[in-house]
This record gives sequence, structure tokens and C-alpha cells, in this order.
Amino acid sequence: MSGKVVVTGMGIVSSLGLDLETTWRGLVAGRSGVNYITLFDASENQTRIAGEIPAEFSEHYKLYIKKRAAGQMTRVTKMCIVAAKDAVRHAGIDFGQMDKTRCSVIMGVVNTGNSSVEIDTTPQNTVFKSMSNAMSAWVSLDYQLMGPNYAINTACASSAYALAGGYDMIRNDQADVVIVGGADSIINKEEIEGFNALYALSVQNDPPEKASKPFAADRDGFVIGEGAGVIILESEESALRRGATIYSELAGYGLSSEGYNIMAPMKDGEGMAFTINKALKSSGVAMEEVDYINAHGTSTELNDRYETLAIKRVFGDRASQIAVSSTKSMLGHTIGAAGTIEGIVTSLSVYHDIITPTINLFHPDPDLDLDFVPHVSRNQKVNIALSNSFGFGGHNATLVFRKY
Amino acid sequence: MAQITENTRNEVKEVVYDFFADECEVDVSEISDQTNIIKDLDGDSLMFLELIEVFKKKYSLEIELKTIGKYAVKNPVQTIGELIDMQMLIIEHEDRILELA
Repeated sequence: MSGKVVVTGMGIVSSLGLDLETTWRGLVAGRSGVNYITLFDASENQTRIAGEIPAEFSEHYKLYIKKRAAGQMTRVTKMCIVAAKDAVRHAGIDFGQMDKTRCSVIMGVVNTGNSSVEIDTTPQNTVFKSMSNAMSAWVSLDYQLMGPNYAINTACASSAYALAGGYDMIRNDQADVVIVGGADSIINKEEIEGFNALYALSVQNDPPEKASKPFAADRDGFVIGEGAGVIILESEESALRRGATIYSELAGYGLSSEGYNIMAPMKDGEGMAFTINKALKSSGVAMEEVDYINAHGTSTELNDRYETLAIKRVFGDRASQIAVSSTKSMLGHTIGAAGTIEGIVTSLSVYHDIITPTINLFHPDPDLDLDFVPHVSRNQKVNIALSNSFGFGGHNATLVFRKY
Repeated sequence: MAQITENTRNEVKEVVYDFFADECEVDVSEISDQTNIIKDLDGDSLMFLELIEVFKKKYSLEIELKTIGKYAVKNPVQTIGELIDMQMLIIEHEDRILELA
């Protein structure tokens, strides 16, 4: 057994599109998915913008989920199921031909979205809609999978942790295939008020598509996004046996807890740097080999400053030669889904040798002087790429993707 | 004890068939008394509870769900036909159904 863990399928539901191809095309084109909130009346909220998925989803999911099951799911869980089924199809897996006791599901879940925007919650379905294991459970039910099946919550790093968990499960020979992902939406009045109270959200409502501006001097907070991302992780042997297309290798990861503050990152990016270093060590990648970093890049004052400092701390003089970009500049922050969505973007960058841009970087912060790939995507050889995710509570994750 | 007629059974059967056809998105013609609720229809145990609520209202039944639960543990239901049979017993015997178990 080689011990290699590879990516063989991906699925996304995002504000740029309801499938992988549309989303990827939008990201490569540098389009924003952010607009005025329509899910509820936000006219009284300080923040009135978000990266909502297209309204057509309310019909689209019916192609994937039966009415009975749909009635027991939140909109967020439905996003997860759609992305998962697309990922399985993308991977070309026929579970009827697999040992289902060696097929697993791990989902990063911050919340299931059973909020005030869920209009059809009843006493009969509220438990199912609120169960934080609902997404992983429904995915395994759909395919009758019998391997380990669970949910992880590490705030904004949740689905990056899920990928790390899937990697371990395959490396430890507990599974051949792990369906890994996350889905999230906190686009509701109460949570937007809560994040506004923490001064965490952008209030630059006009024009909406310009508000998420990671690494810019005039950034003022993150923009909420929503969506789902699912990756099929598979042992190299299983993928080769099936003749599957391999999009990248997940070469390793670094996880850490800062033990510092419930909201703020450790000063000067110390914890972030520690995490990136752990990831490089675990994957056996030298810092000279790194071509691209898909940054956590939230557009908040502290994250972007500290993440930049962390990259400089790890890579020294070489930091300025590494392309760094933020998917959140286009999709907003998809919270529990961000780790996997950005893992997918990173994996596709490795596969296609295309680096998606950081948009809205019209006024660069002079203190943040890395190569942030502003405005337009770049064709560049990408052999090794990192994806950073840092969550409230000090949950840090860095994933390492290698060209296969 | 309610008076059961052939008409009652037909009413129950129609409600059960329509309920499963609607909830499971299948044509009613695809359902028979031999249809397995979970394997053939992707159904779930909650459907049984929802149907009981329907029949409790329709026939003004006086029976607690936990009584039905106790009976069902000893007399598990797999098929549509078995479900209709149990429903008929509930209508006929209400909370004395446990005496049959």
C-alpha cells in the first residue's frame, strides 16, 4: 500500500453556481457572488449583503432529494446532499462495486441552518433539521455506506478538519473512500446581528460585489457566504483499480489550537505559522517547493494582517515569490463549508495550473506586501499548494495538495 | 369497540396508499399490500406515526401512541398490508389493543 490519499471527485454549491464547473468558471473569471440579501428582510441590518446561492436551488435540489427526505432537511443540508451526489458522480464511483464497510463520510458542520429563514420547520422535523450529524447521516443513508460516519465542528476550519480526518482514515487503512465536506449558511437576521456586534462583518453594502476585499487597505470585515463543498478522498490503490481521474494528492496537513482567544488570532500570526510549518513537515514538503497558498483571507483587519505575517515567518524571503489568493473575495466566507470549498479550489489549481485571483484589491494595504494575484487569474505551474483555514476559538488547519 | 365494515377497510386502504404514493413520490399503482415500506418505498418509521395521527382524527380514536408503540414492538410492520391490518386493529380495539398482543 502506497499510503497516498488522492482526490477523485468534487462537488460545489456556491453563490457563483450550483455545480463545480460553473463555480470554477466564475472563480477563474474573477466574478463575485456577493449581492443584496434576499433570504430575509435585511433592510434594518447594518450588513445587508451576502453571497447567497442562486434562488433556482429551491427547484434544483428536487432532482437529487426525494420529497419525504427533503421535508426532514434544512436548506443547508440539502446543499450538502446535492454537492455530495455531484462529487460521487464526478468521481465515477459505483458503490455497488465497492466494499461499503470501507466507505465513510465526514462532514464539517458548524450548524445545520435551522434558523429563522427555515419556513417549514415543524415539531415533527425540527430534531432532524437540527442534528449536527444530519449531513453525514443523510449522505451515508443515500448510498447505504457502513464505514465510520461523523461530523466535526471547529468553526471556520470545520471542513478542513474533516479533510484531515478523511486523510487519516485512509492512511490508517480504515477506509478506501471517504466522502468529506461541509455546508453552511448563517445568512439570517440573528447571526448577522451577532457578527455585526462583534464588528466582524463588512458594512460596505454598496456596491455589494466590492465589499469582500482581502488584503486591501480599506477592508472592514468579512462578507458572509453560503454553500457546500464535497471532496471524494480515496486511497491511491482504490482510485487506480477503478481507473479514476486523479485531480491531486492530499499530501498532508497541519492542525493546531492556539489556546489564546475565542475570537482573535494569536498575535503576529504565531499560531498560523506554527500550523503551516506542521503541514509542511507532515507532508514532507520543503518550503522551496510551495507554489501557491489559498489563503484563509477573510477581509478582516486581524486575519489578513496575521496571515501575511505568518506566511512571511514561515517562508522568509521566499514569501514574496509565492502566489497567495483569497477565494473569499469572490464567494464570501462560507464558514463550515469554507475548508472544503477552498480545498476544491486549491485542488483544481493544482490540476489545471490556474491560480484564481483575489478580487477587489484596488487599494493594497502597504503593510501586506505578498503576491496576492489581484483581479485576474493566472496560468502558472502549481505543483504544491497549501490551503489555510483558521476558525474562531483558535482552530487552525493547513492542507497540502500535490500535483499527481 | 368500533364497528368494522368492509367499507372501513377500503377507506383505510385508500388513505394509506395515497399517503405513501404522495410522500414517496411513486404512482399509487406501484403500491400493493406486499410492498415493503422501507426497502421498496424508501419509507421511514415516522410515516407510521403520521398515519396514526391521521386515523386518530378521522375515527376519533382514544389511544396513546405509547400503547401502539408497545404493540408494534411485539408485532413489527414491514409491508403496506401489515400496516393496514394493524391500523384496522387499532380502530377496532383502540387502547385495548395490547390485550391482543
